[in-house]
This record gives sequence, structure tokens and C-alpha cells, in this order.
Amino acid sequence: MSEFEGKRLVKGNFAASYAARAANVQVVTAFPITPQTLVVEKISELVDSGKMNCEFVRMESEHSVMAGLIGASYAGARTFSATSGQGLLYMAEPVHWAAGTRLPIVMTIASRGIAPPWNIWADFSDIVTQRDSGWLMALLSGHQEIYDSVLMAYKISENPDVMLPYMLAYGGFILSHTSKPIHMPKQSLIDEFLPKIPKLGWDHVFLDPDRPIMHGNLIMPNTTPGYQEFRMKIQLAQLKAKPIIREVAKEFKETFGRDYGNGMVQEYKCKDAEFIMINCGILAKQMENVVDFMRSLGHKVGMLRLRTYRPFPTEDIIDAVKHAKIIGVVDRATAFGSPTGGPISSETMAALHNDPQTKDLRVIPFINGIGGRDVVTQQQKRQFEILMECYDKGELVKNEELMSTTYWTGAMGVK
Amino acid sequence: MTANLEKDFTEVTFHGRGGQGAITASNLLCAFAFEEGYNDVLDIPKIGAERRGAPIQAFSKLSKEKEIKDFCAIKSADYTLVFDFTLLDIPSVATSLKGTVIINAPDFVDLDCIAHVKAIWLVDATNIAINNNLMISGYPILNTLMLGAYAKVTGQYTLETMKKVLNQRFGSRGEQNYIAAKEAFESVKKVRG
Repeated sequence: MSEFEGKRLVKGNFAASYAARAANVQVVTAFPITPQTLVVEKISELVDSGKMNCEFVRMESEHSVMAGLIGASYAGARTFSATSGQGLLYMAEPVHWAAGTRLPIVMTIASRGIAPPWNIWADFSDIVTQRDSGWLMALLSGHQEIYDSVLMAYKISENPDVMLPYMLAYGGFILSHTSKPIHMPKQSLIDEFLPKIPKLGWDHVFLDPDRPIMHGNLIMPNTTPGYQEFRMKIQLAQLKAKPIIREVAKEFKETFGRDYGNGMVQEYKCKDAEFIMINCGILAKQMENVVDFMRSLGHKVGMLRLRTYRPFPTEDIIDAVKHAKIIGVVDRATAFGSPTGGPISSETMAALHNDPQTKDLRVIPFINGIGGRDVVTQQQKRQFEILMECYDKGELVKNEELMSTTYWTGAMGVK
Repeated sequence: MTANLEKDFTEVTFHGRGGQGAITASNLLCAFAFEEGYNDVLDIPKIGAERRGAPIQAFSKLSKEKEIKDFCAIKSADYTLVFDFTLLDIPSVATSLKGTVIINAPDFVDLDCIAHVKAIWLVDATNIAINNNLMISGYPILNTLMLGAYAKVTGQYTLETMKKVLNQRFGSRGEQNYIAAKEAFESVKKVRG
């Protein structure tokens, strides 16, 4: 058996590298940044030792990393890179370009807090800055899921109805630098699962003298179809991606036996739950233990893991929580100045409000683990207790973690 | 993990100094347990911006059956490996120790500051490393030795398993590491508990 198949102990970052290899990526551009660096280092090592067949280009900055991927993807190559935190911010301009020009680039993000002060630990605030760029986004909660999601991402991104780039985010250090056993499937199964890369390149951009097209031009505001229609098409592709993500998750389960809910969200004991917490990333995985414990005490609690962040799983959330008495939403990111201070809680409130089944459902926002601050199961248990107390009292429970209407778990109050 | 949430795996904490190999040790421990047939293992290096010589911590969680979902730092370890006995001078390190503690130290070290722990084992890993030429840039590398001692104390994996993994991992230096680890396995001794 090759070293790339079977059950192996790997770091989260290496799971991303091995998956890129398994997906037969053709071009990788790279620039180091903690905590992502190991992803591209491993790929460099694999290419150097002849174990991976791709073009590996060292760039002088993250901006160039994305520019390089855009060039390679224009030419029809399957492309991959990785970045984190400040690197993603520096990359921002071509990040938007990649989505605007509809290239199926896949990039893993070992998420970290945004400076200042300097921070390199788990915090999804980095990808939140690119939330509305048009990229598809997933928040991952395990080593195996990193590997599997890279494979699924190519299948979703390269679907002609989608053709959008994909960002796969996982917590820096807490997943990037920890090791766990993962199962790597047979290459033949993976090859069968993944789409074929079109010989001529992606349908909408390939260059051919017999089919003259223009790239990246200036279009006057009132040209039709023009800029506004191109933007509408990105939103349309995001909406069309929802059933495709669900379909690919289903097919993945049938082929490889691993379950990621419906691809958009993953329920944990939600069916009969009265109190449901929406969570994401590794803290969602950890919260499964807390749900089990709370259930052993007789509380009807459940947890809904938000797996896909873009497109936002509006219908999936409504469907999973409509029967609950009250729900909590836990963010590991900040959205300053938003209604709650947390990106997912603000957006969940907006999503529920427009549906008659959930318009009266109370949402309690929590923010925790900012900049990698430890969140222990005891604190997650307390989050459920606060949720239940808020329901019983019909109002927010006052404590030192409550600032305005949001509970900042594990924080000292600020004046 | 907390007192009222059930715990069903072994938790191990590593205290060392940057450059001694404690972070690699937490990873190797997982590799040994995994090779030995443990279903799920997890190593958590507490890294960020480490410096050579500065106190560092790493954690391993080993589960025979159930999936490890708990990723938080270990507060109450079953086993603790202390790579440098001078770390016991740091009150927060000494008072945090619980369960069984394995210390790299000569016989004469003063252990009164950790009289509260369940059991104490000593191994003179620094000297074994020097005698076996397990050195990088003049520093003794202690990870495989401490794990040799751990194998003896816990019985969680065999010397054969160590040998296999070390040879896979370190190629030509695997055997050298194994010989030193075996020496630590044979010489670690219980001094309290």
C-alpha cells in the first residue's frame, strides 16, 4: 500500500497537502504564512521527491499567489494554494478577481486572528473579511474533513453551474498543527469521484483562435448585458451551488462512507431538541460531547453545525431549528458593528426572520475562542445553560460575559 | 475536560524547554499508540512563537475506542512527562502536576514541591542521550528516551512498536534512538507512590 492510502496519523495541514495531491492538482503557487506554511511545505517536498506531479511556483507575496493561480486557472489547470490571516488580507484584491472571473480555484485557510495585536491562533475573522467576495466557503471541524473537503470542493467548484472558487477554513494550530488518524482512500476511487479536467480548459474562458473572446475588460455601466448582470450571475451561481453541495456530500458518503450531514449543515441530535445551538469548526465537534452530557441530565438539547458558510444555508437552518423553543448561535469570529458582533449570529437572525416558521424564534448570540482562546467543555455546557435560562426568564440573563445582547464566553467584561 | 463530563481516554502532558523535543514527543507518543492499535489519538502542541530554552507544553490524548472530540488543553493529566527538572521551580508547573509524573532528573533532585502527585518516576535521560550521542547542535534530544520510560511506566505500547515507528520515522537514526529509548525503559525507576 502506498504511503498515501489507508489509515495514517497526520497533521491537519498535511491532510490538506495530501488531498491536493490526491486531487491531481496541476499548479500550486505558494507563499509561507503561519499557521498554513506546512501545507505548501509538504507539497514542495512531495513535488521535489517526485511523489507529486504538479507545477510548484514560489511567489513573492500572497497577492502574487492568487494572481498566479488565476493565470493558471485561466489556462485550464486545476489549482491549489493555502494561506492564513494577514496573508488572506494581502491577497484580497485577486481573491475577488478569482470569483468575478469564475475560476474553480481551491484554497485551504488555516484561520487565524487578525492583527493588531499579533495573533496566529484559531479565529475565522480572516475569512469573514472575504465573505462577500463570491467564493464558496466551508468551515471544517476535523482532520478527516479537511482531506475529504478538498476532494468535494473540486467537484463542486468545477461544476459548470457553479464555477466559483472555494475556500476551506479550519482553525489555526487547533487543527493545522495537531495530528489525528485519517483515512485516505484508494487513488482509483478518488479519480473516479473527481470530474475530468476539460482538455481545452474551462468552458467560459478557454482561449481558442476560432472562438475569440475578451478577458477582464472595462464595461460601461449601461452596457447590457454588462457589469450588473455579471454580478447577478455570481449570486445565481451561489444559489445554484446549494443543491450541488448537497448532492456531492451525498455522493461522497455513498462512495467513501463518510457523513458530512447534507453538506450545508450537519445535525447532532436536533430532531427532537427544544434548545439548539448553532456552532462551527472544531468547537462544534467538541460540543457533541456536551450535547451527550446535557441529554444524560434529561435536557432536550441539540447542535447544528454550520458547515457551509457561503452560500449561507438559510433553508437548511430553518428546517433544522423550526421546532426549537429558542436557539443559540456561537461565533468564533468578530463582525464589528454588526447587530450582534458575530457574523454567523447576525446572519442567522436575518435568515430566520423572513420565514413564517421561524420569524418569532429567539436567537441568543455567543462569541468565543477569539484568537484561539481555549474553550473547554464546561464553558460550552454553560452556554446551553444560559440559553435555557434565557428561555425560562423570557429575557437575557445578566452576567459578566454579556455585552449589549451578546455573550462573550470566557471573556472578562470590558469598560 | 471537566469532572462531570465523562472522560474515556488517557491524557498526557509534556513539560519541556524549546529544543528538547517535547513537541515531537507528543506526536511520537500518538504514533506509538496508533501503531499499537489505539483507535483515535490526538496530539496538541501548544505552539505559537517558541524560543529555545523557554518552557513549553504539549499534550497527547489516547483513546482505545471512542473518537476524541475534545480539543481543549489538558488540565488534569493522567501522566506528565517533565523533560527538565528545573521546570519544577516554576510554581505554576509544579502545582499543576497531577497523576503519575515521569521526570528527567538525576537521583538527588528535590521532589518536595510535587509531594501531592500520585506517583513519581525518575529517569536520567540527559545522560543517556549524551552517552548515545543523541545530540543536535550540542543539545541532548530527549523525546524518544522519555517515551521509552513512559512505555515502562504505562505498558501502553511495546519496545517493538517503538522500534518499528522510529525506523519508519527516522531512517538510519531510528536504531540509535531505539537503543537509547530501551536504556531509558530499563533504567526508569519509581521513587514515590
